[in-house]
Amino acid sequence: MSRRITFIQAVREAFQEEMRRDGSIIILGEDVRKGVFATTSKLVDEFGPERVINTPIAESAIVGAAIGAAMTGLRPVVQIMFSDFTYMAMEMIANQAGQWHYISDGVLKTPMVIETPGGARGGAGYGHSQSVEATFIHPPGLKVVAASTPYDAKGLLKSAIRDDNPVLFFEHRRLLTQRGETPQEEYTIPLGRADIKRKGTDVTVVAYSASIPKALIAAERLSQQGIEVEVVDPRTLVPLDKETIFASLQKTYHLVVVEEGRRRGGFGAELAAIAVEEWFDYLDAPVQRLGGLDAPLPYSPVLETACLPSADDIVHAVLRSLGQEV
Amino acid sequence: MALDHDTLKDLYRKMVTVRLLEKRVEQLVMAARIPCSGHFGLGQEAVGVGVCGPLRKEDYLFGTHRGFAEYIGKGMTPAEILTEYYGKATSLSRGRLGQHLLKPEIGVMPLPSSLGSEFGMAVGAALSSKLRGSGRVTVNLFGEGTAGQSDFGPALEMASLWRLPLIFVCNNNQYVELAHYREVVATEDIAPRAGAYGVPYEIVDGNDITLVYQATERAASRARQGGGPTFLEFKTYRRCTHYTGDPGGYQPKEEIAAWAQKDPIDRCRRLMMAQGLWTAADEQAMLEAVSAEIEAAVQFAEESPYPDVSTIYEHIYA
Repeated sequence: MSRRITFIQAVREAFQEEMRRDGSIIILGEDVRKGVFATTSKLVDEFGPERVINTPIAESAIVGAAIGAAMTGLRPVVQIMFSDFTYMAMEMIANQAGQWHYISDGVLKTPMVIETPGGARGGAGYGHSQSVEATFIHPPGLKVVAASTPYDAKGLLKSAIRDDNPVLFFEHRRLLTQRGETPQEEYTIPLGRADIKRKGTDVTVVAYSASIPKALIAAERLSQQGIEVEVVDPRTLVPLDKETIFASLQKTYHLVVVEEGRRRGGFGAELAAIAVEEWFDYLDAPVQRLGGLDAPLPYSPVLETACLPSADDIVHAVLRSLGQEV
Repeated sequence: MALDHDTLKDLYRKMVTVRLLEKRVEQLVMAARIPCSGHFGLGQEAVGVGVCGPLRKEDYLFGTHRGFAEYIGKGMTPAEILTEYYGKATSLSRGRLGQHLLKPEIGVMPLPSSLGSEFGMAVGAALSSKLRGSGRVTVNLFGEGTAGQSDFGPALEMASLWRLPLIFVCNNNQYVELAHYREVVATEDIAPRAGAYGVPYEIVDGNDITLVYQATERAASRARQGGGPTFLEFKTYRRCTHYTGDPGGYQPKEEIAAWAQKDPIDRCRRLMMAQGLWTAADEQAMLEAVSAEIEAAVQFAEESPYPDVSTIYEHIYA
């Protein structure tokens, strides 16, 4: 049976189901008992204060504590209230969480999840609005998840919690209150498997998180002009499902990539490089790369909007890719 | 109360092992047999060895990059240390760790490259022990300079809030790399900072192995009984340079000479001789045995193969 639930409810259900299944899962973070974005609200009522732990305001030490707990038999979930603040814990994430399994030659494991809402939703300003997922593509040993629907969020979070590696689970704040069909029955979605959000034959648009709704709007508009866009959601940036993207490109020969994170050194840069290195014979046009401006995110609604790719921008990028003048 | 005779002899032998091993590793670094630099702790052996004395095998240790005292103290062997330093395939990590000694099987937990990054991890290990009721104690050993790191305060706060079985051990050897600690540390004592977080603390002579052992035993006992964290500051002195490439010269000769008079190994030996536990013949026999163990470890590390490059992608993910 399926219901329409919000992204928040989907995430909370994933926590509930997993915490019932496995007593070694704990959640720690700032205000996780009440839950500022509500994904962890009321979990303390069922699982108790020993498993749902409010912490001091200290992102680096919280993530450090999760690493130590993970290495010694627990499966911690850390909530970082805004994904911009993951930078405060960058040392622990990039230098420690992702590397000890390797440098210990497999002796240590760090099964942990960093759940972190982020992205621009208006009104939060430069340090509460960034999309920083691509930052975590670079360090080794991490997995990076960025779901675009409640269905994906629930299934991916359950897999992330069961994974024996550190997983960053990004939630776009514009998506948190969005509803979507989600089955009542137990299901999981493996990390590293993309999903085709709309089928098409003319151009492949790879987008994730809050760029998916925009890509779907753009695809609808383009369809009215007779251009059929295939929207591919990788869902996890690491590991990346290159096979699904390549299969789409083998139909369309045109690639557009969209993200809200900054363009320079972003996910699109990585994907464009992969396309040039590995799929050159399947590119009939240069890769079109859309992303946030290479600038700090200003506060004013007009300025913030201007920093991020819009559905119109995606339409134009698709047309450019096809060599059609806008 | 004096330590029992076997305990004292064991601690003494470990301190001597640390000193001889550090000397040998220094030679091997200078001879370019070992690719890393070495950071040694001449004169401060009683801290690491003494702290590990009352710990159980399963207790967790987060140690420092300086010397081998806590690693030998916790039960690592010269061969385990040397094969890591050489980067050989026979090491626990098959050549991946280098100086970042590790042996979780006996509680030796990560030594992060970035000083102080273990503060949070030690909190996590202690939290894990508490939630699982394992009875294990965690020791987080660090220098007075590392107390300046940003996770120091939060770790004390979390340990205090959650009454964790965690012992903070500050090895105050008076030098932060090339600088006297008072150039870069605002207070003579570090321990009172713990008091501000509600964590009980003691300041102890770190060159007296008996006092180091007993202070740690009290803290471990408190932790195991659910009494929460303790902060111990051991006053000692580093009589060597920061690392093998450091020409030194910044430590006054008189200062070094004064601390040599308080050498922890000499003190321990005099104590044992005064108690009639130790003779010159015992000393000679032990030195020969320890030297032989170290030479065998050097030979083993020298003769061990380097890791096969084909292993390079193994274990990036679990």
